Amino acid sequence: MRMDFDDTPDEAAWRTEVRSFLDRHAPGPDQPRAWQATLYDAGFVGVTWPVEAGGRGGTPMQQAIVDQETARRGLPPLINLIGIGMCGPTVIVHGSERQRQRYLKRLLRADDLWCQLFSEPAAGSDLAALRTRAVRDGDGWRVSGQKVWTTLAHLADFGILLTRTDPDVPKHRGLTMFVVDMKAPGVTVRPLRQMNGDAHFNEVFFDDVRIPDDERLGDVGDGWRVALTTLMSERLSLGGGGTSIGPKPEAVARHVARHIGALPEDRRALARQELGRGYVAALGARYTGYRQLSRLNRGELPGPEASAGKLSGTRSARDLTDLAVRVLGPDAATGDDGEWQNMQAMLPGMAIAGGSDQVLRNIIGERVLGLPAEPRADKGVTFRESLG
Amino acid sequence: MNFDLDQEHLDLADGARDFLSGSASPAAARAALDEGAGLLPGRAELIKSGYATITVPESAGGGGGTVLQLAVVAEQAGRVLAGPSTVTFARAAVLLESDPDRLAGLADGSLVVAVIDGDGPVLDAVGAGTFLALRDGTLVCGPGRVTARRPIDATRGLGDVTLGDTIDLVRDARPLWRTAERVGRTILAAEGLGAAARLLEMGVEYAKQRHTFGRPIGSYQAVKHMLVDVYVAVEQLRSLVWWAAWAADRAPGELPLASAAAKAAAATTLELAAETVIQVHGGIGYTWEHDAHLYWRRAKTDRFLLGDDVAAFDEVARLAMGEAAR
Repeated sequence: MRMDFDDTPDEAAWRTEVRSFLDRHAPGPDQPRAWQATLYDAGFVGVTWPVEAGGRGGTPMQQAIVDQETARRGLPPLINLIGIGMCGPTVIVHGSERQRQRYLKRLLRADDLWCQLFSEPAAGSDLAALRTRAVRDGDGWRVSGQKVWTTLAHLADFGILLTRTDPDVPKHRGLTMFVVDMKAPGVTVRPLRQMNGDAHFNEVFFDDVRIPDDERLGDVGDGWRVALTTLMSERLSLGGGGTSIGPKPEAVARHVARHIGALPEDRRALARQELGRGYVAALGARYTGYRQLSRLNRGELPGPEASAGKLSGTRSARDLTDLAVRVLGPDAATGDDGEWQNMQAMLPGMAIAGGSDQVLRNIIGERVLGLPAEPRADKGVTFRESLG
Repeated sequence: MNFDLDQEHLDLADGARDFLSGSASPAAARAALDEGAGLLPGRAELIKSGYATITVPESAGGGGGTVLQLAVVAEQAGRVLAGPSTVTFARAAVLLESDPDRLAGLADGSLVVAVIDGDGPVLDAVGAGTFLALRDGTLVCGPGRVTARRPIDATRGLGDVTLGDTIDLVRDARPLWRTAERVGRTILAAEGLGAAARLLEMGVEYAKQRHTFGRPIGSYQAVKHMLVDVYVAVEQLRSLVWWAAWAADRAPGELPLASAAAKAAAATTLELAAETVIQVHGGIGYTWEHDAHLYWRRAKTDRFLLGDDVAAFDEVARLAMGEAAR
């Protein structure tokens, strides 16, 4: 197949379909669930999901075109993004037929909202060190422990929950994944205020919460493998396919163009250097995403190299946003400009969420470049022993 | 959309790698520096192979191929620090596009040409007999007297050129000149990509072998993360090079931004790769015998060719703001 950035005839027809739909249905800004349902009913949510799972059985390129067209109109991401990007794909691969029937279509329509309950106060980058316990109780399980940084938990109906079911084997082997009803007795959600003032993520406490065994995802003790499905799907939804992390570089260029005339002469040249550097980095990330998307569209699985997009996209987003704030001049030190000050306060979180920059570098270093792993002090010991 | 090389390109890359790795090497670059030894594979061999003149039309005896094909070859040339540069052939092929006789001379090797940029020393001037230059908006051609400059990277053949009597080739040639320069920047970036990718391999290989404190240095995050940053930069450069080369062939409107971005990214990436890989090697990386400094020399030279990286970043910014204002 020849290199070509233009749409194929099929892609062009799809793009026209997406555009004409979006032209006809402007979303109500305060009704994100209804908007997702409208989009789903038109066939534009879960495009790549199998038809049996409520999806359209389409291509990654078709999904990318939907993403491009919604981003072009400045529409916000879908409310159930975590469910679509991470929870759903995990249920598709590891769920039972009953779970797939019960959850997937409702997830795509945002009839139910979903969250991902992985990180804990003592287990972030070292996720497999998590402590939330699930203990057998008749034909079900009892769960106690605490999760944290859980985006959307305060609104979610369901979550995928990674627990420890066996502390007497090495840490990766004693984990089990469940679907948990977030409205079940014993689940307490406490919003956390982020450094930018928003409260999109939460602490979640589990106090003897009962989960039926048929809500298990995958085998007992196989939770790490199930979680890897989730994390691989996450890779695709963050910084993949040529979409921008943070501001679009074009938007920064427009903003700088408006303000650069007011800067002193020596600052103008400096601003252009900074814009040029950030812009080149953003283009590099974008076109690398296009290469990745092309491979996915040929049916290849997302590999560890996809982490590079998030790593570099986060960096260029911070550099470009820093410039955007800087050209505000005397106002830069105040919070008066909502847009760029907000972006500036959001981006430190991007370098941590979904794999910190440091963890992503380890993944690329070890799994792409083949460099040896950092020695691990908890290797070959059981989880209980590793606690000391 | 499909953004990847096809099988034809991959086969071309294999063939070019076989030819170039068999006929050029960092050792040859060192000999050029040490003893003024001739460049390898050298102009004659490059022409004979057909790779350097891929973009010259078949009617003039060239390959009738695309800039993307030449970029694929140029990457392989960069890996082994081949000389002279494929950039010179790429630019001359554009500048002489309406001059079948000289184009045929370029393809058969009878016209030993270099392209004069502004006031700086000229790439591949050493050994060249005919020079192309832009004078008051006119593309001119003529013989010149070359004063070789003391090289940092001898494979670049930099020299000052005093033009003799010239003849006018094309009037109002500024747009043509700019296009040739942008194609040249794209191919320069492709050579930089090859050099940087080769450096990364050297660094990764060494980081797996070399032990300190009882374990391979590549297991330390301080070392691993440096190499990952090079990997990310190299892959992004690859994307920009392919995009720019594709634009040269198929989307001229995108060529200014794409070629400036590729040129700028090549300058910073090759320098990052060279300095990182020297650091990863420690003392041995700082020796004359080691190959790393030959790539470092390439980095320290290339960043100033066809405009420096500062100019390229400035151009990207101006183009981006211009687009945004529309």
